[in-house]
Amino acid sequence: MTPPNNPFILADGKKPTCMEMLQVIIDGEASDEQQEYFKNHMDRCLPCFKSYDLDMAIKRLLKTKCCGGDAPTDLVDQIKVQISQNSAS
Amino acid sequence: MGLNTILDGYSLLFLLLMEEIVTRQNYSEKEKNEIFNNEFLPHINSMYNFGFRLTLDRDDAKDLVQDTYLKAYRFVESFQKGTNAKAWLFRILKNSFINDYRKKTKEPSKVDYQEVETYYNSEDVNRQITPDLRVESLKDMIGDEISNALNALDVDFRTVIILCDLEGFKYEEMAKILDIPIGTVRSRLHRARNLLKEKLSEYAKSMGYKNTEL
Repeated sequence: MTPPNNPFILADGKKPTCMEMLQVIIDGEASDEQQEYFKNHMDRCLPCFKSYDLDMAIKRLLKTKCCGGDAPTDLVDQIKVQISQNSAS
Repeated sequence: MGLNTILDGYSLLFLLLMEEIVTRQNYSEKEKNEIFNNEFLPHINSMYNFGFRLTLDRDDAKDLVQDTYLKAYRFVESFQKGTNAKAWLFRILKNSFINDYRKKTKEPSKVDYQEVETYYNSEDVNRQITPDLRVESLKDMIGDEISNALNALDVDFRTVIILCDLEGFKYEEMAKILDIPIGTVRSRLHRARNLLKEKLSEYAKSMGYKNTEL
């Protein structure tokens, strides 16, 4: 049940789904008002409560496991050489 | 001599993609180098990771990043100092990937976006797609499972996850990088995450199966 003052309701008046609201929260795109609303919503919506933990855990896992690798050490030098060659020609 | 004969086809396309940039700067050589060193180069690791996640090949990633930086330098006068260099570089790399790499490898987009939009607007979006995937099972994924699951996604779905979850771009920045409306960013991201969860769920199942065997 979505109260009429749901701050997630868009200009077109469309009622947001749980997953739409959750996504805005997870991605840090929510306003203070939306965050407050969702916090209360989670207290009475078990699927959202579970999905929030899972989605946050996946996001953290992606960040720790899929980035952080360094570019090859010679790449910057190669780019700089190429630029100076292009500038000279 | 006409413009088309002066500019090669790709340069022309690139300039068209830069259409929103109205002010061209007039930088000295020293300023150009400062921008390159202080605003562009600090993003090289993120750029390389993006290139690798798109091509899934380290040599191709290197070529793509090199090509991106050369273009960024060439078009540096279209860049306003102090603005979002990272988003600008990501946009150039993404365009290079689509215009050069994808054409070369003849890998067409396999995503039916109409289908994605239809899906997102349906009741299915509230469906719990992977009820068996739990936070606890993720804790056992200490190897390459998450990376493999991400790499197994179609490149267009992979891209939105990289931009949002790995690089922390906001929806508005992603829309600019990808040349798509914010609504499409949201729907594509939503679908991408569900697909990723399906892959992770498969890993979780296989890990559980192994555990019961032991």
